[in-house]
Amino acid sequence: MRPVKRYWTRRLGGAACVVAIVLVANFFLFRLMPGDPVATVLDPRFSPEAKAQLEALYGLDQPLGVQFLLYLRRMATFDFGLSFSTQRPVLEEILERLPNTLALLVPAYLLSVLLGTVLGVIAARRRGHLAEKAVLAAGAVSFSFPSFFVQMVLLLLFAYVFPVFPLRGSLSIPPPEGTWRILADRIWHLALPVFSLVLLGFGGWALTVRNLVVKVMGEDFMILARAKGIGERRLLWGHALRAALPPLLTLFLLSLPGVVSGAVLTETVFSLHGVGRFLLDSVLGQDYPAAGGAFYLLTLITVGSNLLADFLVQLADPRIKTGGEESR
Amino acid sequence: MKMRWSAWVLAVFLFCGFLLPLFLKGDPREPVAAPFSKPVWADRTQAPAMSLTVPTGEAGKTFSWSWEAPRGLSVTGEVLFAKTPSKAALIWETPAGAKWVLSDLSGQNRWTLDLDARDMAFRISLGLSPFDESLRGLFDKHGMIRVRIESDVPVERSSLLVKIPGERWGLFGTDQRGRDVFLLFLYGIRVSLFVGILAVLVSSLIGLDAGLVAGYVGGAADTFLMRTVDVLLSVPLLPVLMVLAALWGKGLWQLVLILGLFSWMGTARTVRSMALSFREAPYVEGLRALGAPTFYILARHGIPTVLPLLLANIALGVPGVILSEAALAYLGLSDPRVISWGRMLHEAQSFGAFTTGAWWLLLPPGLGIALLCLAFMDLGRALEEWADPRLKGGRA
Repeated sequence: MRPVKRYWTRRLGGAACVVAIVLVANFFLFRLMPGDPVATVLDPRFSPEAKAQLEALYGLDQPLGVQFLLYLRRMATFDFGLSFSTQRPVLEEILERLPNTLALLVPAYLLSVLLGTVLGVIAARRRGHLAEKAVLAAGAVSFSFPSFFVQMVLLLLFAYVFPVFPLRGSLSIPPPEGTWRILADRIWHLALPVFSLVLLGFGGWALTVRNLVVKVMGEDFMILARAKGIGERRLLWGHALRAALPPLLTLFLLSLPGVVSGAVLTETVFSLHGVGRFLLDSVLGQDYPAAGGAFYLLTLITVGSNLLADFLVQLADPRIKTGGEESR
Repeated sequence: MKMRWSAWVLAVFLFCGFLLPLFLKGDPREPVAAPFSKPVWADRTQAPAMSLTVPTGEAGKTFSWSWEAPRGLSVTGEVLFAKTPSKAALIWETPAGAKWVLSDLSGQNRWTLDLDARDMAFRISLGLSPFDESLRGLFDKHGMIRVRIESDVPVERSSLLVKIPGERWGLFGTDQRGRDVFLLFLYGIRVSLFVGILAVLVSSLIGLDAGLVAGYVGGAADTFLMRTVDVLLSVPLLPVLMVLAALWGKGLWQLVLILGLFSWMGTARTVRSMALSFREAPYVEGLRALGAPTFYILARHGIPTVLPLLLANIALGVPGVILSEAALAYLGLSDPRVISWGRMLHEAQSFGAFTTGAWWLLLPPGLGIALLCLAFMDLGRALEEWADPRLKGGRA
């Protein structure tokens, strides 16, 4: 069991390192942002005493070292302070939006991985087939088209030219009556964003699956398996995909930060009420507590899902358990 | 090496971005026509914007009109007669045969006109209702319309310009401020190429150094550099770029630096793996045995070894940077004075391209970015094959 322990020590150490760097960067970056933060809250007619009181409220009157320690304590307890623009606790604002973001990202990502894997394996088996051409084209689109441009075109097509989907928002205004109606309304608002993310995401994934499976198909153990008389289907889905799984999961892990970036853009295009859009608005509005909190939470989520994916890699790759060379 | 399509595309982009604007008159920031005009070729059921000069001759200017009456009409410019005319006028002849006097030009040999159909006095002098917006009197039927200067003395010079604001204008139409989208598109090429290429050069330089040191020197340096790469790869890129762009200002040079600093990881990994095998090569071992300093080995032999693949990496890295730049500009984190494709998409979204269905504001910048990225990827692949001919044909 020793190698496993070492593996996890390294992974957890790496994750802690990322969080520490983000914490330090977060602290200094947001304190170096241009403009006087208090000025955005403050009316210029306020007295100097009122201004000092406000600065004390946000802890801006303390020396930098003390500010940093206070900041660390607040980050550990997820207390991000009050938003400059809405005067509500930042955590409350973020938690209110988090379900929207997760409802967008989780189905979109699962669907694109599922679709990508299936199409990738089919494309690997039948070179030159329609599926392969589709995979190659979709891959080229996902690497060269700006995601937000594709989404804007989809929005123009399906919300303006053929108005089947709503133009903006996460929920109709006013919201419909009844739990089920609200749920249906939310799904209606999410359908186009999720579809666009799947459309943009599955190509790259399928391309990788195809390349890996093609490579695995040429290996000796596959020839042996075929010689044993294992059926084509089981050969492909059972053996080839199974062997290609570890690098795929590593790739999945590496693509997680990109998903968060995608959330910012997608939520901006479709005007969704999510964390990414919240981060953008805070950055544009110089709302430090809000921007810092959102950035920190997004990083935590990324690092957390990274660790989770790591765990899955370990399950799929027995070489790590036996202490063999780590696969990259 | 055969000329790839990507080379042609890049040549066209370079020409359009840097040379063509020199020949085209006009400031891209100035409005040229009504806001949200469609491209000329788009919707032939709607009137195009027209701008006609009225010549000095008796025949005047004729043009064909086969649409609804336009929303406005203006006449500006100067007329100079050889002598003071006793009787002269600017005449408008409609397809149905009606004759309108747009302006009386008699009694003076130099006239400066500034007529606009929105002007009440002008409408009343034409016998149009001051409250009815329509110009149906002037455009009574589909057919040929003639505008001419009628006078009893010869006209020496005329710079009269009749302008009709239509629904269609130019190659790519106009945006929410009436600016020419085609000109904006041309100027956008520069920003994408400038930021894309320079930022990739910065990142390649960092990646080359980091990769060589990590792979060749190894040890603690390797661990440190590769840990740094891992950390940078596990932080969401766009939020970091957003915060930095807001912090450091939004200028192009800052953008180049920010993008360069956050996209060297892939290059470093590639170079590192090459440097690892380079270190073990017999001739390098020989060099070390002869006492060559590390710097000499890396500069004289290491860099030339990785250079071909590095070139391919540079070309393959450009699309990522162009896309990041466009994303930042789209989110509104770019200098509003700099015209770029991302900025055009940002303005399309914020100023109602979706509520007016202005697709011509989306497609030129979006497809421009995509085409540029595809061209660089193809170029990168060509360079890769050149660097490693074994790849040829192996990649389907």
